[in-house]
Amino acid sequence: MKVVTGVVGNDIHVVANRLIELSLNARGFEVFNLGVNTYLEEFFDAAVETNADVLLISSLNGEAEGWSREVKLLRSKYKTLDKLVMVIGGNLVVGTADAETIVPKYKKYGFDLVFHQVDLNTGLDTLEEYLKERKIV
Amino acid sequence: MSLLQQEREIILSNEHVDNFDFAEVEDFIRNADKNLFISHHFKNKKKMLVQPRGGFPTYKKQFALNEFFVEANVDVLPLTIDSNTRLNDYATAKKMLLLSEENDVDMLNGYPLVTHGYRATRKMVTHFNKPVSLRHGTPDARLLIETALASGIFDIEGGPITYLLPYSKNFPLDKAFLYWKYVEKICANYSKLNEPINRESFGALTATLVPPAITITIQLLEMLLSLEEGVKSFSVSFSQTGSMNQDIVMGAVIKKLSRHYASSINCSDATINLVYHQWMGAFPTNKDFAEQLINMSTVIAAMVGADKIITKTREEASGIPTKEANAKTVANTQYTLGILNGLPKIVDEEEEEILTLEVNAIMEAVFNDSADTLWRKVFNSIKSGVIDVPFSPHIINHNEMITIRDAKKNIRIIKRGNVPIPDRCFLYEKAQCDLTKDTTSMVNDIIHDIGIMQ
Repeated sequence: MKVVTGVVGNDIHVVANRLIELSLNARGFEVFNLGVNTYLEEFFDAAVETNADVLLISSLNGEAEGWSREVKLLRSKYKTLDKLVMVIGGNLVVGTADAETIVPKYKKYGFDLVFHQVDLNTGLDTLEEYLKERKIV
Repeated sequence: MSLLQQEREIILSNEHVDNFDFAEVEDFIRNADKNLFISHHFKNKKKMLVQPRGGFPTYKKQFALNEFFVEANVDVLPLTIDSNTRLNDYATAKKMLLLSEENDVDMLNGYPLVTHGYRATRKMVTHFNKPVSLRHGTPDARLLIETALASGIFDIEGGPITYLLPYSKNFPLDKAFLYWKYVEKICANYSKLNEPINRESFGALTATLVPPAITITIQLLEMLLSLEEGVKSFSVSFSQTGSMNQDIVMGAVIKKLSRHYASSINCSDATINLVYHQWMGAFPTNKDFAEQLINMSTVIAAMVGADKIITKTREEASGIPTKEANAKTVANTQYTLGILNGLPKIVDEEEEEILTLEVNAIMEAVFNDSADTLWRKVFNSIKSGVIDVPFSPHIINHNEMITIRDAKKNIRIIKRGNVPIPDRCFLYEKAQCDLTKDTTSMVNDIIHDIGIMQ
């Protein structure tokens, strides 16, 4: 199971990104970590290049909200990404807002799973269950 | 005209510099008051020097901040540079400075030194007549440092490794080495005119579980890169680790090894000082707790025997501190230092031996690289992961090394990556930790270990 991950935009917060890589590796995923300061095009290019099953984008400073509006449009330009599972997590808003308003918003942007201020392991457990249900594993 | 002078003229003739007068600047430095040189204070000091952090966009606010610091009995004034200037975007810095001046709102997170220029800034520096330390984070600091020196700022922080690996994802590391080589040469040349210009390395790095062996190795390498260009006064530094014993061991080893490696390149005439950063990781949001943490850092700095301490404030968790809070830390730190008497001497020979072996092994691997110059050897060593900084965002960094805290909160290496930690030391490090846990609980431990002071 291949996962492309990284922190979106001009966000340079790296600590959680490293921990996500460690945790995904421990769970048996093959991880392609693009690190911090990664633009949407780079995520999709990497997903194509690696033939990834999952794209896991993260955000700490909340920039994700601005970038995510372009996800659907950009994804539609790629022909081979139909089966890609899209996940986003971290702190998904600049300022404060609760998950009830944020999660539906990001689902509309084109994400299958959305984790706003959710504990890392809880999030990855949910991802694994989701993959199992969809028989992607 | 020398190649260096040709390069200087290119760097200093652009639209953002108002007519740089080389001869006048040289004359100013030759006749500058000794009190402006931190190297002079290091030589004559009777106590640890106290230096806060701080930078505001406008001349007026920076001046007011300095007044507060002087009132609080500061030893070294800081000048923290804004993020646009750090990235050589002087046009944006200028625009934001104008907005800050017009609207009385700070649109920059520091002082845009190049925009203010050396003539104005020198007025402020000579007015207070205290040493000023330049704090930035700039990979290409050539214009910034020329401007700083011309302003009377004679303590220059930074370096090609410590200002790149923690701050940037993809600025080319080889370029950073060359740009900093220029800085070292300028500092060395001016050092011949009066008291030496002091260079300081930024040992805090990512401030996230960086093991002492990596911190010290990088400190020694930046020191050597600086001394080999002719710098005569250098400060090595590190930040509070979270374990008092580990701090004391680090202090002892870095003092011993910096002298050893300086003399190995025939530079024992250079003065090497030790700078200690109060806790650089995440701070508690409770401001009273933050003050307790700051106070404890001061005690540890005294135990370590630092020559200078760089302070935090009770507002660290909430953003850029007010001048009142900043000055308060200076006064408190001076008070604590004044009453800290009769400190016990603690020596942990076993830990010192392990750490010394580790650092020497990494240094040897760097020196054994086949490149012809030191900066290329260091560059190759970072590229190959012989030097690996935990939690660096830079693409050249390997990120193969993994560290956690042991029961006494010492930072320990549990995965070496390509860093040549000797087997004996590696076994010792791992033996201090509980390695029976699975990776998931290990990751939880790491998260906890990072936020240890919150």
